[in-house]
Amino acid sequence: MRVYGSKELTADVLGGDLCIGCGACVELCPYFRNHRGRTVQLFKCDLEQGRCYVACPKAEVDLDELSHLYWNEPYQGTPIGKYEKAFASRASDRMPAGRFQGGGTVSALLFQAMKQGLIERAVLTGQDQGGPRPIIATTPGEIISCAGSKFGAAPTLTALNRAVAEGCRNLGVVGTPCQVTAIAKIRSNPMEIDDFEDAVSLVIGLFCNWALDQRSLRAFLTTRLDISRVKSMDIPPPPANTLVVELDGETIEFPLDEIRSFIPESCGFCPDMTSEWADLSVGMFEGRPGWNTLLVRTERGRELVKSAEAAGLLKTQPMPEENLEHLKGAAADKKRRAFQAMDHKGILNSCDEGVHALMRVGQDVANKIIRE
Amino acid sequence: MSTIDEGRSGEIRFLQGNEAIARGALEAGIKVAAAYPGTPSSEIPERLAEVAAEQGLYMEWSVNEKVALEVAAAASLAGLRSLSAMKQVGVNVASDFLLPLAQYGTRAGMVLVTCEDPGALSSANEGDSRQYARMMEFPLVEPGDFQEAKDITKWAFELSEELRNVVMVRSVTRMSHASGNVVLGDIPKSEVVARFNYEGSPFGQMEGVIDSAPPLAAYYHRRQQEKLKRAAEIFEDSPFNAYSGPDYPELLIITSSICHLYCKEAIHVLGISDRVGLLKLGTTWPLPARLLEKHLGKSDRVLVVEDLLPFLEDNIKVMAAELGQKIGFKRFYGKKDGSLPSVDELNPDLVEAALTKILGVEGPAGPEEYRKQMEEVVKIGAPARMMTFCPGCPHRASFWSIHNALTLDGRKGFACGDIGCYALGTTAVGFETLKTVHAMGSGAGLASGFGQFKPFGFNQPVVAVCGDSTFFHAVMPALVNAVHLQSNIILVILDNGGTAMTGFQPHPGVAVKAIGKESSAIDMADVCRGIGAEVKVCDPFDLEQTQANLLEMIEGEKGAKVLVLRQSCALSPEKKHKKMFDMSVDQTLCLGDACGCNRLCTRIFRCPGLVWDKQNKKARIDSVLCVGCGVCASICPRGAIKKEEAV
Repeated sequence: MRVYGSKELTADVLGGDLCIGCGACVELCPYFRNHRGRTVQLFKCDLEQGRCYVACPKAEVDLDELSHLYWNEPYQGTPIGKYEKAFASRASDRMPAGRFQGGGTVSALLFQAMKQGLIERAVLTGQDQGGPRPIIATTPGEIISCAGSKFGAAPTLTALNRAVAEGCRNLGVVGTPCQVTAIAKIRSNPMEIDDFEDAVSLVIGLFCNWALDQRSLRAFLTTRLDISRVKSMDIPPPPANTLVVELDGETIEFPLDEIRSFIPESCGFCPDMTSEWADLSVGMFEGRPGWNTLLVRTERGRELVKSAEAAGLLKTQPMPEENLEHLKGAAADKKRRAFQAMDHKGILNSCDEGVHALMRVGQDVANKIIRE
Repeated sequence: MSTIDEGRSGEIRFLQGNEAIARGALEAGIKVAAAYPGTPSSEIPERLAEVAAEQGLYMEWSVNEKVALEVAAAASLAGLRSLSAMKQVGVNVASDFLLPLAQYGTRAGMVLVTCEDPGALSSANEGDSRQYARMMEFPLVEPGDFQEAKDITKWAFELSEELRNVVMVRSVTRMSHASGNVVLGDIPKSEVVARFNYEGSPFGQMEGVIDSAPPLAAYYHRRQQEKLKRAAEIFEDSPFNAYSGPDYPELLIITSSICHLYCKEAIHVLGISDRVGLLKLGTTWPLPARLLEKHLGKSDRVLVVEDLLPFLEDNIKVMAAELGQKIGFKRFYGKKDGSLPSVDELNPDLVEAALTKILGVEGPAGPEEYRKQMEEVVKIGAPARMMTFCPGCPHRASFWSIHNALTLDGRKGFACGDIGCYALGTTAVGFETLKTVHAMGSGAGLASGFGQFKPFGFNQPVVAVCGDSTFFHAVMPALVNAVHLQSNIILVILDNGGTAMTGFQPHPGVAVKAIGKESSAIDMADVCRGIGAEVKVCDPFDLEQTQANLLEMIEGEKGAKVLVLRQSCALSPEKKHKKMFDMSVDQTLCLGDACGCNRLCTRIFRCPGLVWDKQNKKARIDSVLCVGCGVCASICPRGAIKKEEAV
């Protein structure tokens, strides 16, 4: 993995409109800060290599290196990445009620992970008047309070960096594909830091097609409704084509076309719909309200699902082949579009002097994805 | 310390140029002095303030130069000799009043002293106020050495009363701030009863109302021009115009002010006193025609030596053209032909170089050896050091927060600066926060404009930064404009409790007068609230609160908002020698170069009291320089900088 410094990170990612504001570079040093969803560099730093660059999921992500680290093989480019098993899942009635987006699977898994000591704290995304904000949850109540999709791009990983700096270990993280990629990059320790320690013991990845720029969404909603009344938001599966905002006592729908311009350019370069570098990936189950799609990718993930079921917190059913194929189709579409966009912009496998890639992968795999 | 009223007639004292000017005013028996501080003029009113009680003098620091000139003019109208002192940019501020003042004229002697700054050593520009004398038609005199600084000032009052108009005495930094021997004169003891005589005809000079309704303005103007003609007559025989050199020099140098001394030195060093004549003019507007005719007629070549623009040169050329038939064709050297630069200060070397070229002479004897020696000395001289804020300066903390808030907002917001120490906010020590610096009050005025451009797609947050003294001086009208017209700006007032940059003179926000007596302080936050702005006040040393306030204002409702950042200047008398905190760096916590902070404290924050310990490769407090403000403790990401309440 190629590692540069904040100078390159600022030029390529912030300057190139590739930053999604995931927070991976924030709180590692005093220079990068995130304010209302946007990451900025306060002052110039002249270190030639930085942990900021290591952590960034939009800078020199070598998919083959990550794949070797995770699966001992080159990156295959399959639509939803490596996984062992796919389930339909939901939290059982034993779970306290929450404002779950789908079936409450993530909350149930976190409950169990914390209960059995797999994780001590969970890095999550909460929401307040100011928009989505990172939270370090230490109790089941805090976990439940973070349930539900935020849709706004959130600097969740600032909380991870803060927790690590404070000496926390055994952390669970729930993140979007970009955030999960950042964790994978950090774990690969490309700067070969001697005393590097992986503080993350569980990664639950979310399905994500795109996020919305927090500030634009907020500005838009402010003109249409009293933002303090917002309880939750949802983007129902096609053909709804709407953003549904639930207020106390009423719901308001906005056509998706009105908010599409709030999708950061960066999302167009993201080839990952299902958080391929997670232990477990969770998304909506289209056509079955109250249920999630759950992908088990690692042994750790498999064990956690098993124990959550055994503890009666989680219910699973086999994923029907038809639904899985539909998911793969959508994921393949996203992947193809992203690879085409990166290729077009010259940030896929860039080899010119001074040009840095967003992603690198074997050219044959890249070609296959682009052509499919 | 001795005061400028000490010493009797005939005694020789070693006086700074500004002290000599102040002494000259005392010897002229002034009763009133009014000024706004500004380098290099500030010592004149300061020295006068020191003796005000003893000498029965009314001295004030006015809110700005225009008001200072008006206060001095009131004294003149009331029969009291008065002086107003300011720097060159102050004359611009005062100029709106200066034009009608000069047109009507004065009653008791009134002198406007302007101390100017060729090279802009402590100014935002190299303004040259001599042009006002010509443009606004009043006499201008310039001392050529320290004795003259006193004598010409005293004489200027007599001249003012003879002409009944304001007289400008112009000095420059090297005249004002250098010192020399001065033979003193007596300070008169006089009792004057102040009275403004408005009875009588408005056509009268010494009585009657002052009006400018037709036909009075034209009448005053005609009278003014007659005064100027009389001035030129008086100047023909003025002892402040002096010639030295051969009867028929190869080259005639005409000069004035401090350049007189540069010329003398250059002539001496080059050993050309038998070839070159030196005409030093003390009266530089209007020019004495017969005197110039006499000297121009004796040399075919003329070099005019003056700082900055070719004021003398142009006026002498005009006169030479008028005298053409009598004196013949002259070859002129100076600014126009490039013999001398028209920017930056002159010095003896530059004059020497011009003379060497014009006359084709060699440099001084043994120059090679001398220059070698000089270069050796220069090599071991002081290392280059960039300007910076003092340790504990509140501006550093303020700019840190403004910079960070604007950067976090991320819409390429910027700050418009103003005149004061905080103009350093354009540089790295102010984190390059300021993007404009013009004149006093202009930051807020510019901001008021920028804040109106939303209809043109302008979405950058706009901050204006001004000092407390500047706020009263010229920012208030701009703030009124912004509030009244609902411009989207944030005015940050850096309230450090005085006119700090020029030596901590009081201003209307401070409960003390120039002569040290108590006065009523005006609360600038209340003023801003009264104007109708949303106002917050906080301590800039609290970085977190300051940034939170700024972000809230940047993101908040539209309109003009004011944040007063209140913290005394690190050099303020109340703070000197007092530490708020004992600071230290816990070098077991500081990771040095291994820290991801990349020396944030010494590379970016750059307080001179916080230094890089080269031996341990970690940060360290320089306990000699540190004044214990405690701010750096909140920027270290490791918490390695410790502060403890100082006992």
